[in-house]
Amino acid sequence: MAIDTNTLKYLDNVPGPFYVFELPVRVWHWLHALSISTLIITGYLISSPPPSLHGEASTHFVFGYIRMIHFIAGMVFTVGLLVRFYWAFVGNYHARELFVIPVWRKDFWTGMLHELKYYAFLTRKSSKFVGHNPLAQIAMFFTNVLLGLFMICTGLALYSQGTGAGSWADRMFGWVFIIEPSSQTVRMWHLFGMWIFLTFVIIHIYMAIREDLYSRQNGVGCIISGFRRYRDDGPMGPQ
Amino acid sequence: MHAQETFYDVMRSHGITRRSFVKFCTLTAAGLGLGHEFAGKIAHALETKPRTPVIWLHGLECTCCTESFIRSGNPLVGDVVLSMLSLDYDDTLMAAAGHQAEEILEQTIEKYDGQYILACEGNPPLNEDGMYCIQGGKPFIEKLRHMADHCKAIIAWGSCASWGCVQAAKPNPTQAVPIHKVIHDKPIIKVPGCPPIAEVMTGVITYMLAFERMPALDRQGRPKMFYGQRLHDKCYRRPHFDAGQFVEKFDDEGARRGYCLYKVGCKGPTTYNACSSIEWNGGLSWPVKSGHGCLGCAEDDFWDKGSFYSPVSDLGVTGNVEHTANKVGGVIAGAAAIGVAAHAAGTVVAKATSKKPTATAEEEIR
Amino acid sequence: MAAVTTPNGFELDDSGQRVVVDPICRIEGHLRIEVNLDENNVIRNAVSMGNMWRGLEVILQGRDPRDAWAFTERICGVCTGVHALQSVRAVEDALDIQIPTNANLIRNLMMLAQYTQDHLVHFYHLHALDWVDVVSALSADPKATSELQQAISRWPKSSPAYFSDVQKRLTKFVESGQLGIFANAYWGSPAYKLPPEANLLATTHYLEALDFQKEIIKIHTVFGGRNPHPNWLVGGMPCTIDIDNAGAAGTVSMTWLNMISDIIDQSIAFTDQVYIPDLKAIASFYKDWGFGGGLSSMNVLSYGEFPAHPNEYTNHSFMLPSGAIVDGDLSNVHDVDVRDPTQIQEFVSHSWYEYPDETVGYHPWDGVTEPKFELGPNTLGTKTSIEQIDESAKYSWLKAPRWRGHAMEVGPLARYLVAYARGREDIKEQVDSLLSELGLPITALFSTLGRTAARGLEASWSAHKMREVFDELMTNLKNGDSATANMDKFDPSTWPAEARGVGFGEAPRGALGHWVQIKDTKIDNYQCIVPTTWNASPRDPQGNIGAYEAALLGTPMANAEQPLEILRTIHSFDPCLACSTH
Ligand code: HEM
Ligand code: HEM
Ligand code: NFV
Ligand code: SF4
Ligand code: SF4
Ligand code: F3S
Ligand SMILES: [Mg+2]
Repeated sequence: MAIDTNTLKYLDNVPGPFYVFELPVRVWHWLHALSISTLIITGYLISSPPPSLHGEASTHFVFGYIRMIHFIAGMVFTVGLLVRFYWAFVGNYHARELFVIPVWRKDFWTGMLHELKYYAFLTRKSSKFVGHNPLAQIAMFFTNVLLGLFMICTGLALYSQGTGAGSWADRMFGWVFIIEPSSQTVRMWHLFGMWIFLTFVIIHIYMAIREDLYSRQNGVGCIISGFRRYRDDGPMGPQ
Repeated sequence: MHAQETFYDVMRSHGITRRSFVKFCTLTAAGLGLGHEFAGKIAHALETKPRTPVIWLHGLECTCCTESFIRSGNPLVGDVVLSMLSLDYDDTLMAAAGHQAEEILEQTIEKYDGQYILACEGNPPLNEDGMYCIQGGKPFIEKLRHMADHCKAIIAWGSCASWGCVQAAKPNPTQAVPIHKVIHDKPIIKVPGCPPIAEVMTGVITYMLAFERMPALDRQGRPKMFYGQRLHDKCYRRPHFDAGQFVEKFDDEGARRGYCLYKVGCKGPTTYNACSSIEWNGGLSWPVKSGHGCLGCAEDDFWDKGSFYSPVSDLGVTGNVEHTANKVGGVIAGAAAIGVAAHAAGTVVAKATSKKPTATAEEEIR
Repeated sequence: MAAVTTPNGFELDDSGQRVVVDPICRIEGHLRIEVNLDENNVIRNAVSMGNMWRGLEVILQGRDPRDAWAFTERICGVCTGVHALQSVRAVEDALDIQIPTNANLIRNLMMLAQYTQDHLVHFYHLHALDWVDVVSALSADPKATSELQQAISRWPKSSPAYFSDVQKRLTKFVESGQLGIFANAYWGSPAYKLPPEANLLATTHYLEALDFQKEIIKIHTVFGGRNPHPNWLVGGMPCTIDIDNAGAAGTVSMTWLNMISDIIDQSIAFTDQVYIPDLKAIASFYKDWGFGGGLSSMNVLSYGEFPAHPNEYTNHSFMLPSGAIVDGDLSNVHDVDVRDPTQIQEFVSHSWYEYPDETVGYHPWDGVTEPKFELGPNTLGTKTSIEQIDESAKYSWLKAPRWRGHAMEVGPLARYLVAYARGREDIKEQVDSLLSELGLPITALFSTLGRTAARGLEASWSAHKMREVFDELMTNLKNGDSATANMDKFDPSTWPAEARGVGFGEAPRGALGHWVQIKDTKIDNYQCIVPTTWNASPRDPQGNIGAYEAALLGTPMANAEQPLEILRTIHSFDPCLACSTH
């Protein structure tokens, strides 16, 4: 793309398509989606185990596997977020959008206002954006970055209870129990985080699909191909 | 610990002469109605290695820590009290009362300033200027502060002294607080549990006497040797946990087979205590072995986690009403799902009510 | 005040020297006693002040009723388990839950073990030093002690060498100059009457009992997982029984049943061969110290305990019957109904709580717990440094419970008097044989020593009863019934929108009741009236004094500086202040 999308303002009127999500971001997105789905399912099962299987304990390892899958997915999630963070430095402008909210930019807030109106059916005309729309950006920052870090810290702190005092997990994440001495409470906040994630996922997927169907730009296609395409060549902002 | 420093040394270092030391010994013997030869023996004993004095205070509590302590089988509590340490003050067991009892506190400070161990069972309330726990007409917290000022180290017995325990459960009407919230300048060894296991209690105190040092403490101030692992890590029902075999309700088939108690509320996975390894009452059994889940009684604030019979606890955001993560979270996610469905319906309706799809109209909707 | 006569017939005169004893040690919790002495050092006014409050009744509001047992159990670690039991009974009563036979048997067994252990610890470790001079034991002749032991009992630990060893150990202890818990006490006081041999004997048993008490409560450990504070369950007991199958090793199995059987044998042996003979020996030296009767000859109360039949809490079922004796009329035992709003009420006119109208009392189902700390105008000292309390105003953290307006004494003596008056043969036989052996009339029971004696007899009674209950449990298991819990109504969704219940029975120290109101599956109100609330009660709006205050009146003190006589009488009730205020 000849145009430097880094300098694009939210509502600038420029023709697309643009290359927004580089391959590593796209790969990460789908891995991330997979690990979170796994974490939500296994996490819920840890909080409310399925009915017991009778027979010899040694012939079953159901709960053990549920937990093991959770831990593996947790590690994928953790490493993934770290790699994604690294990519924010070396990737394109849009690779940083997840981590930086341009609160200082007026057009961020006008864009946000418009998105809110749009979803509240107060205006019928959708906006066009190159990268994330401001509403999605803020939601992604709070859930996938901040809540994600919270889930990693609490998750690995809980994990350190199993690996034991002095283990790497304990040395790196044991501080969580200085802030909250009750590990049951840490566990419950971890569980609560799962529900917030689930809430995000429900809304996020709905919006992605809805975007694809009804808005002036592509949605799902964008995170698959990496290209932002527009359905009209009208101006970016609301009309 | 400077256990080598004898009582006589301490007295001398406080400027007390040999003469008044001998006089003290004679008075002690006379006070007991004993002959002169006892005075010499007492003097000799005090000039050699004295037993470490322990002052055991009681605040707001239920005295189950003392009761647990006297259940110790190894060592026998009689041996601890008669031969290992000198329990100079413990209102539950001591013979004296009233001002004769309280005098011992001042005598101890005088004789063993900076030398004695302060053991505290229960905790001080702060409301009403502390008058929810009155001793000698004064708030308990005064006594605690005074005795803490002159001690070498503090042992916080049980969950009351370590965390606050039942009287500090919401809404904590007396504003009861654990020891570390009011004493900041002395080492505090937390020995939580409601109560702690007897052998853990005698184990901690005899460790300090035998090795003449503080036990290694974890991040939260508990001796690592007893609180280093969760019950769950050593629970004999753990294979059933891993297998996904749970007691669904008490006295069911699974209960009779000894399945894991997680689903009926066992807090073993988040509780640090030695129950599953040392066990209770001479290594006989422990809550989980008897068929009831762990309440988490050695953990901070374990009373305010919602029902003891649910694996999912209260979030602690509201008062007494149970708001578990699954309930609150379920409502949020459920609301999101309903919202999304409604929004989708709204979108369809909006689309249908708009004009016949012409190129421009369609664009308008987009 | 000068001299007044209380409605319940006691003369109070606060004009003489005021003596303050605070803390009263060798009890559970924090208690202060103030008395006035006349010129002959006789107690003419007594004030009992409960020095602590934690607010369990407030804390329980809004919680899951199934959890209440764990909270209330923490009311006391000395009488551990007793509150848990009344709590699960209260919730079961409210929700109409029937518990299985095994659960009832196990609960009875645990309570009997509690009686035996609690009484034993009380006698030797909390009470004995009021009668026994430890230092005098140093001058005893071990041989004479051995002869004394062999004369009063066939307890095998009785050789001269054994007593000599104990004596040497004691001597070494005293010679160390560090007297620990024995420091600053009243050794050598003329109030001590035992010869050195008896002192050595009792001191030796102090140590033996300390070792043994921890065995008795292992019965709790088997069924409840630990002691103090074993686990309980609404609907039955949390332990499962599977004596036949693979799960047996982890549950209540044959090995554990055997162990319990052994503990019961040992408990019977210890109470019959050590506790009771010691009690008799000590009592024989203090026979003419007949003080401390107080309310015991007038008003006593028992709720009844140990239901022989599950879910039947009536005198038809109770092994120790319920009843109230008023004005000393043993020929007319009144029936007690804990649900009747006119029978049991709590007053707060002299308690640090607030009622809208403090001239009336509330039945616990309508009970209110609203703390209000406030000292009377005649208090000496300041709010945080009380030198002398003003008993004409609020002066205690205990409420004042009354039965049909009467201050009542509760506890082993009350239970024994009610059982005796109701003609229970097992109790009569025990009491009559003790009295005839000591050559005393039944009125001798109305005293400090009577209270202590009744407790001893009851310890022995409960040890023997454990055997009966255990045999019943074995029979029930033999017949193939292994159910321990009824979980039909454990799930809150099965409960009515509103319900109320009461759990009542007898704790070691006396009548104990828990009243619960449940609304929308949560606790709406929870009230406990506890044995020590009855006994250590402050005055009521009418001016009736409670059992402690009454019992101290008229007692001469050998030395106003040494509160030995006060300790004796107060200890004979086995005070538990954490219980009393909760
Ligand atoms: C979005 C991310 C995550 C979600 C949604 C999630 C969800 C959950 C849930 C719902 C539970 C059950 C809590 C309970 O009821 O006790 C749980 C437990 C747990 N999670 Fe996560 N989790 C996430 C990330 C992680 C991470 C990154 C780790 C790190 C390894 C982790 C480790 C754990 C551990 C150790 C437990 C306790 C399991 C046990 O002790 O049985 N979680 N998680
Ligand atoms: C299951 C969990 C999922 C999570 C946690 C998740 C999370 C995310 C995150 C963090 C981003 C921002 C990417 C970046 O800036 O690096 C993103 C973007 C995106 N995701 Fe997902 N995603 C999930 C599933 C899905 C699914 C199933 C779809 C499609 C149906 C989808 C469609 C999109 C789209 C279209 C974008 C681009 C948004 C934009 O244009 O601003 N996501 N997602
Ligand atoms: N009073 C009392 Fe308790 C007893 N027995 C309770 O119910 O002691 Ni702690
Ligand atoms: S920690 Fe628990 S057991 Fe110990 S005194 Fe406190 S309430 Fe009682
Ligand atoms: S019973 Fe409790 S401690 Fe034991 S394995 Fe199950 S959850 Fe863990
Ligand atoms: S309730 Fe307490 S006694 Fe042990 S098993 Fe749990 S920590
Ligand atoms: Mg009450």
